[in-house]
Amino acid sequence: MGEFKVHRVRFFDYMPAAIRAMAFNAHTERLALGRMDGSVEIFNFADHYFQEKVIPGKDSRSIEALCWVGGRLFSAGLNGEVTEYDLESLRPKYSLEAYGGPIWTITSNSQGAHLAIGCEDGTVKLFEVLEESIQFERNLDRQKGRILSISWHPSGAQIAAGMMDMIRVFDVPTGRAVQRLLVDRGFGGSKSRETVVWSVVFLSDFTIISGDSAGKVQVWDGHTGTLVKTHLVTKWDVLALSVSKDESSVVAGTSEGTVIQFQFIAPTLQQQDKEWVRTRTFKNHTHDVRALAEIETAIVSGGMDTQLVVRPLLEKFDERSHASALRKIHFPHRNLVFCAKKAGLLLFQFPGQLELWRLGESDGHGKPGDSLPLKRKPEKLLHLKRKGEDHICCSALSSCGGWLAYSTMSSVRLYRLQTDNNDISITKVPKLPKVLRSAHQLCFSSDSSKLFAASSQSSVLVIALSQSECKYVHTLKPKSGSRQPIHLMTNSVDGKWLSTANSDCEIHVYNVQKLKLHCIVPVYGSCPSAMGIHPTTNNLTMVHADQQIFEYSIVEKQYTDWSRKLQKQGLHNLWLDRDTPVTHVTFNPKNPEQILLHDMHMFCIIDQSLPLPDQKTQFYNQMTLRSLSEQGRPSHLHAFKICKTFQDLLSVSLLDDQSLVMVERPLLAITSQLPAPVRQKKFAT
Amino acid sequence: MAKKLLRKSPSSSNKFNSANMTDDFQLHLDSSDDDAAPEEVTFEESKASALRSMKNALETSKREKDFLKEKRRKRQELFQEQKKRRLLPAHILEEIDTAPSKKQKLPGDQAESNNEEASCLREEGSEGSKEGYEKETKKRLKGNIRSLKGNYRVMRVVDQSSNKSQQQTAMDFIQARLYGPGSRRTTNNELLSLQNKRGPNKSAAMQFVNKKWGTEKKAKAEKLKKQWIHKQKVPSS
Repeated sequence: MGEFKVHRVRFFDYMPAAIRAMAFNAHTERLALGRMDGSVEIFNFADHYFQEKVIPGKDSRSIEALCWVGGRLFSAGLNGEVTEYDLESLRPKYSLEAYGGPIWTITSNSQGAHLAIGCEDGTVKLFEVLEESIQFERNLDRQKGRILSISWHPSGAQIAAGMMDMIRVFDVPTGRAVQRLLVDRGFGGSKSRETVVWSVVFLSDFTIISGDSAGKVQVWDGHTGTLVKTHLVTKWDVLALSVSKDESSVVAGTSEGTVIQFQFIAPTLQQQDKEWVRTRTFKNHTHDVRALAEIETAIVSGGMDTQLVVRPLLEKFDERSHASALRKIHFPHRNLVFCAKKAGLLLFQFPGQLELWRLGESDGHGKPGDSLPLKRKPEKLLHLKRKGEDHICCSALSSCGGWLAYSTMSSVRLYRLQTDNNDISITKVPKLPKVLRSAHQLCFSSDSSKLFAASSQSSVLVIALSQSECKYVHTLKPKSGSRQPIHLMTNSVDGKWLSTANSDCEIHVYNVQKLKLHCIVPVYGSCPSAMGIHPTTNNLTMVHADQQIFEYSIVEKQYTDWSRKLQKQGLHNLWLDRDTPVTHVTFNPKNPEQILLHDMHMFCIIDQSLPLPDQKTQFYNQMTLRSLSEQGRPSHLHAFKICKTFQDLLSVSLLDDQSLVMVERPLLAITSQLPAPVRQKKFAT
Repeated sequence: MAKKLLRKSPSSSNKFNSANMTDDFQLHLDSSDDDAAPEEVTFEESKASALRSMKNALETSKREKDFLKEKRRKRQELFQEQKKRRLLPAHILEEIDTAPSKKQKLPGDQAESNNEEASCLREEGSEGSKEGYEKETKKRLKGNIRSLKGNYRVMRVVDQSSNKSQQQTAMDFIQARLYGPGSRRTTNNELLSLQNKRGPNKSAAMQFVNKKWGTEKKAKAEKLKKQWIHKQKVPSS
């Protein structure tokens, strides 16, 4: 197999943004996630929690709450605007100023006809949801404090609003405040501070459940305005509440990082009266939990520790399987690191800037597992700040290291790089073609003569690059007329083929020289998470979100024999049970039978010349092989060679000089830079 | 009619009879006993003293009034002077009054800069507000004034929008509630160190394990160590 020198890179200071809001759409099974930097991510819960779409943030945008109305996504933030997002072109459709000051919450009624927002100036504003836009309808009675949380009664006739020190119930047709529920302040020192009712839930039997900053979850009777039960849950704040669809379970998220479940059950077996009883506590976060959603079979939580945690509820599953395991999503399911294979340069994409680094050099030799001394340290060559308010959406680096491009929602910028011995000079390419306004994905051809930009409706713009200028050549359009955006794009080393994948799980292969569609790969139910075209055989290797691997021969327009063999045998269970998707597929020019893949926790080399493992063979067999003698090995070899030495991988690539580049981002380093957690006194510390 | 009772002053009797004086003293002393008759003050004397005190009071009040009046007059003069100073010299005023039709069509950005000047003039809250407005209109009529004399600041309207300040207060509110005083928070270092301490493999606190943390403390410790070693070497050598 051969040994590789490994550049172990840990100088990519990737910091994900904290999760602020989430909303689950039960019809389409999509979860929308709003982060503190204003970006919105859409996860497909039906397809192994794959991160389908990412709408990049903006400096002036802030997201406090998200809300689905049918298939439309709305958000509201502290800048006082209600924004609707276009999920097909991944940008905001429009922003409506609400003229109520900062908006704290937005929610729709169960019929999907109205939106209610809670503003800083104490008004609850109602908007009518029209076909293509929303329109302001009226204000409910203005209150003296700020409105922090809102919940519609399922009938749409009443609204409960959580404010400072109280909860108000409004009658929607008249707009009058009908009830006032006074919330107690906390004990001791916090008596002087007002209690903030962070979230309320209005149930169909007129029960109101509220979570406040004194750490209480209180159950109220909405008809009479009286307190039914108080549960003191934590010493810190209860920040989020979510109710299940059948209203039998409510979950509360706290500042401690715990998620507490309350269920509407009879406390003892004989009794018939049901009440809200605290049942389970989940401690899956280290920092505050600010966003919570209870979906049919799981509890989804996210907060300041930037992880998305999906905790399936075990009573809804018949047996312990992969679907009932705890899932944590740390890293984005797309590439943020780009490698110039010929030049040995790395490009790191941040929301606010791009960083270009040159890898270090080492001369030494050693045994496998040794650390070699560095002759030259890695150095940062370029720090390129973005222009304007929009965050960087995608970027690309050509393999020779001579061209650099990035795109935001409003513009695309292309730069020419020249590296003399130790100097680097960068010049912006001034006049880009007018059609190139923004791109969802960017990709350079391997000889750096063309730039491919994925634009709206799954089409690809082909731009020809010459010395220091560029010219628009052609738009490649898919036949299916899909309107979904492209999230993966890859091209072949010989410059003939370009392959794209969009959110509809369609994969198109285009002939670049003839500038037309070559073939469409048969659609598979799961979205592809990584694609690569083999340098010599021009086989397209695809790995999907459900961990299935396919190999398609572009020239022959059919699946390869190896792929059919793999599908017939089936992949090993341990491979299918992995919970992070493969994000990068690359190949070894010296050994055409190898496919290199990685996900967050492992790096794998698939050797197509070796037999495939069946369900009984030991899957992670590298350690065993090392202990066996030379004669004993061939009987135990199988195609999947997995290495778990490198953890929290963001990217793996192979340079032209046969050295691997592993970009790791230890989760501990991310945790150490998060905001402050609460001080918990643990026994014996 | 009250009898005129003269008190024998001791000094008058002193001249003639020293012996008598002691007696007189005794008398005088005795006369200050409780059972002696009270001293009598003549009516004229008391009338005189009353009149005197009334006159004094009248005089002091008059003086005060005069003083205040003087003060007010001085202040008024001062204001007049300041006003005179702020206005442009008289001949320029005349010129402007006679040529009101000189209103040029100001270019777009010029108007904007004048608007900015206007807005910042209002913000400054000059005490003579009337004067401020007058000055501003004069500036507009005059046309190409770029330099601003006095204590004025120029700010863009974009930066000053009320939205941003409201957004800032909202963010401050949430920051104060979650991370402000009374929120009982600790550091990530503590959190990770506790995890190390309570985990299955007990290990050191994060600040020692993670080499990038606490660099200032470590540098200081190094320096102190070197100094101590140097101190140890010097007496021995």
